[in-house]
Amino acid sequence: MKRLYFIGIFALLTITTIFIWSKSYYAQQEEAYVQLAVEKGVALIPSEKGVFERSEFANDYGTMRDDYKGGRTLETYYDNRAFHGAPPSIPHPIVNELTMGDKSCLKCHENGGYVAKFKAFTPVVPHPEKVNCRQCHVPQKTKGLFRPTNGKGFPTPSINNEAFVGGPPVIPHQIQLHENCLACHAGPSAPVEIRVLHPERSNCRQCHVLNNKEMTDIGDFIR
Amino acid sequence: MPIKSYILHCEYQNKNILLNELQKLTNCEVIPAQNHEVIVVVTDTDSEETDTELYNQLLEMKGLKHLSLVSGFDAK
Amino acid sequence: MVQTNVDRRSFIKKMAAAAAMTTAATMFPGIIFASEQVKNLNNAGNLDWKKGPCRFCGVGCGILVGVESGNAVAVKGDPNCSVNKGLLCVKGYHQTMCIQAKDRLTHALVKKNGSYVKTPINEALDLVASKMKQTIEDHGKDSVAMYTSGQSTIPEGYVASKLMKGAIGTNNLDCNARLCMASAVTGFLTTFGADEPMGCYEDIDHADYFITWGNNMAEMHPVLFSRMLEQKNNRGAKIIDFATRTTRTSMASNKSILFEPQTDLAVANAICYEIINNGWVNKSFVEKHCNFSKGITNIGYGLEDKFKFTDKPEKISFEEYKKFLKDYTPEKVAKYSKVSVKDIKYLANIYGDPNKKVVSYWCMGMNQHTRGTWINNLVYNIHLLTGKISQPGNGPFSLTGQPSACGTAREVGTFTHKLPHGVVMNKKDREMAARIWKVPVENIPSKPTYHATEMFRAVDRGDIKFIWTQVTNPLVSLPKTSRYRPAMEKDSCFVVVSDVFPTPTSDVADVILPAAWHIEKAGMYGNSERRTQQWDKMVEGPGDTMPDAWMTIEVAKRMGYGDLFPYSEENHAEEIYNEYRQFHEGAKHGMAPLEVLKKESGVIWPYVDGKSTQWRFNSEYDPACTNGEDFHFYGKPDGKAVIWQRPFEPAPEMPDQEYPFWLNTGRVIEHWHTGSMTRRIPVLHKAMPNAYVELHPEDAIKFGIRNGEQVKVTSRRGSCTLPASINERGLPTKGQVFVPFFDESLLINDVTLDAFCPISKEPDYKKCAVKIEKV
Repeated sequence: MKRLYFIGIFALLTITTIFIWSKSYYAQQEEAYVQLAVEKGVALIPSEKGVFERSEFANDYGTMRDDYKGGRTLETYYDNRAFHGAPPSIPHPIVNELTMGDKSCLKCHENGGYVAKFKAFTPVVPHPEKVNCRQCHVPQKTKGLFRPTNGKGFPTPSINNEAFVGGPPVIPHQIQLHENCLACHAGPSAPVEIRVLHPERSNCRQCHVLNNKEMTDIGDFIR
Repeated sequence: MPIKSYILHCEYQNKNILLNELQKLTNCEVIPAQNHEVIVVVTDTDSEETDTELYNQLLEMKGLKHLSLVSGFDAK
Repeated sequence: MVQTNVDRRSFIKKMAAAAAMTTAATMFPGIIFASEQVKNLNNAGNLDWKKGPCRFCGVGCGILVGVESGNAVAVKGDPNCSVNKGLLCVKGYHQTMCIQAKDRLTHALVKKNGSYVKTPINEALDLVASKMKQTIEDHGKDSVAMYTSGQSTIPEGYVASKLMKGAIGTNNLDCNARLCMASAVTGFLTTFGADEPMGCYEDIDHADYFITWGNNMAEMHPVLFSRMLEQKNNRGAKIIDFATRTTRTSMASNKSILFEPQTDLAVANAICYEIINNGWVNKSFVEKHCNFSKGITNIGYGLEDKFKFTDKPEKISFEEYKKFLKDYTPEKVAKYSKVSVKDIKYLANIYGDPNKKVVSYWCMGMNQHTRGTWINNLVYNIHLLTGKISQPGNGPFSLTGQPSACGTAREVGTFTHKLPHGVVMNKKDREMAARIWKVPVENIPSKPTYHATEMFRAVDRGDIKFIWTQVTNPLVSLPKTSRYRPAMEKDSCFVVVSDVFPTPTSDVADVILPAAWHIEKAGMYGNSERRTQQWDKMVEGPGDTMPDAWMTIEVAKRMGYGDLFPYSEENHAEEIYNEYRQFHEGAKHGMAPLEVLKKESGVIWPYVDGKSTQWRFNSEYDPACTNGEDFHFYGKPDGKAVIWQRPFEPAPEMPDQEYPFWLNTGRVIEHWHTGSMTRRIPVLHKAMPNAYVELHPEDAIKFGIRNGEQVKVTSRRGSCTLPASINERGLPTKGQVFVPFFDESLLINDVTLDAFCPISKEPDYKKCAVKIEKV
């Protein structure tokens, strides 16, 4: 019995060795064959990616107090953005100029939290997978301009945009690169006016739809 | 300071005439239906007197078939 | 939240309206009050989005511009563009904000008695045409010149070439792309006989290794770099940074290898030595598809006026090449390149491993090089010896810096020696141009005249008496501006400058023409991966502004060449493209028709039978391959690519006792080119208000310089005083300083040297000797 057991183990080991060896051998033999992605057509529906990204914190958001002092408001939210959808500039000193951002930004901005030094809550990044932060986000080192400009700022999305009283507000802005709703609409760093009252319902787009159009207004449906 | 809303029924194919008339009024909001001869009007006036005046103006509009009051508030 | 009385009233009004609408709905089921919804949604979420390419670098991201009542109010990445897949960089997002600058050029300005007088555009164009005509009558055709740009649209470049070469009959046309990727062109032509990269950006999705040769992609090609980072994080692809300065790219890479300026030539040869010595050569590929050649050595640096050089290629055998490489063993090269033997072998190992796919990326580091053509050849050698070329994830990839350096400068050919198809020296090419342009073939001269640097030297000498610059700012971007600024100020030359904003170049102009910006006109660009991108006019330009192509056409008409330019003002861009497309018909360079360009976010050429060719020279993807083999380098008559024997030669000016530092110049992520646009974008200017000089911390200690203190950088040509930057954005090696060139008030190009690659005539902005002093 004992002998059979040993033979069994050796047989198993031999088979595994042969299997592993042949697999790696054929892997070496393989031509550098490349499967090309099939070209996709025009995307009609905006990305759903990241919608549920922060939903694991949804219940926590629900139980958080929401009467913090010194939180952001929509007005200050646009202080460091040129228009809605523009990458915000960095309003604080930077730890390291030489890096592209990555972990030195994410250690605060991935999950947020209170920073006593700035007396503020850290905004949460809606796209933590994009690690070359400084590609789009730049600091502000001077207040002046190179040459004066006529720019007076751009229109911003309004907040009273429910179609009917009591209806769920339609999403009044583009969501590209900020598909993750809770990053900006929940938690202490969210501007008070746009803080969601029910963060625990994390399937946001169940009720809130995009005022969506690909390029130009599609108008209303009339048969 | 009363706020009232009405449903206005228009004479057949005269909705645009009525709409033009309504545009001239300053203290009301006009919401035409797209697929029926119906217009919703919300009036917003300073006092009872101006409100009655406006109501009479509405009644005499060209192209109006019928008018019905839906809701009224007196916001102070 | 406290509701004000007004809010309360509007809330009650909404309630009243809702009640009425609900009642109406019970009476008429299915009733729609659409206007109510639309009115409430009338805001920034509801903009019209118009498709186009980004105005800035050569990556060629697809953008969507949000337009509201005739104004561009937002920009986002085009999610359907395969280049950037919806992502942009900080410049891209804010680009349209520059057109709101207060000092925008909106009317023509003519210099009268030393001051500029606002002039109707038609009068200004009359003056330009008559001046040009008069100059030709008095001094001959070769006394007038046009200097255009890799930012000119395809139609703009095309009409400039047609006017100068076809109508007037002079080859005095060159462009700022000469300062940017001329070495890439000569590199491609000498090795493959056909310009522009064989691969495309999709290589990023397949490669195992990315090797950046003197290329800070994290700042200069950030969108592509982000694609690489994605592959690094998801697939474990590796980034190796091979550079002379520690940058963001070095920090983000798996390994950073630093080398002594100019020794990239030796290291590339050492890699080839290792590949051959270790038997990593792909023998069947090399035997079937490659030749070996050598050229003249000790070729000079073009420092003197009227410098001439022609290479004499000579075929050699593999054995001779092998013998030549004996001087480049890793041990020998390590001594002067300051790259360790281990690192050279490490690089060679990556290239030599047949199971690893490698893409090499480079841009200005290799192109702006007094041996730019050579170093391009040498990197191709590595890829050819190992057969790692023209396959998904395998290949050398030369990036560009300007949005249409490929599309306009290289493909339309706004160089002195180029025609839209081929070169002026070739009779057949001249005949083709003459046929499509409908001009006598004798009109087109067969001899190239001035390349960029020589053109401005000719202005200085007084040989050129009329120059018209479009879409570029040479008095910031030329090397040794300390010579060329006084040259352009001379009375002997009449200077016309077309631009969107006033620049140091327009400051010396006799006539300033107000140009329409990017989205204020229709056009096409061509990016680094051979992608042609079209856009329609999106907003109206202010005042008298006019597309550059239309200015050229208007001047041509006034000079009596109207018959050759029968285009309409509204639609000229499309009409010109259709005419231009004829030059490139065929499988090797066929361009997509206008209908396709309008629909897609850019289309890669060769476009054959409704399909783009993503990898050229590979018969699996490229229908132009006809030799029945796996690969066909059809640019060369014998279908074979050339492996060049190119030695290491030192830089023209090396640090010495008196001038002990290397000076390297370049860009920063916030600003693009000479900053005339990006500095007028408030977000970008605030992020990077001025240029600076980067020092190694030990050098700084030696000179007692602290961060922010003023430092005077002086060369034999001029000086520039800038604030010091230590341990900030970048970290130069010891004995090297770095200065970005975007700042027109701190002109570092007064200091740089106008030495160039004798083959490509592209100046080297990356190496000259300077001294530093604390001020």
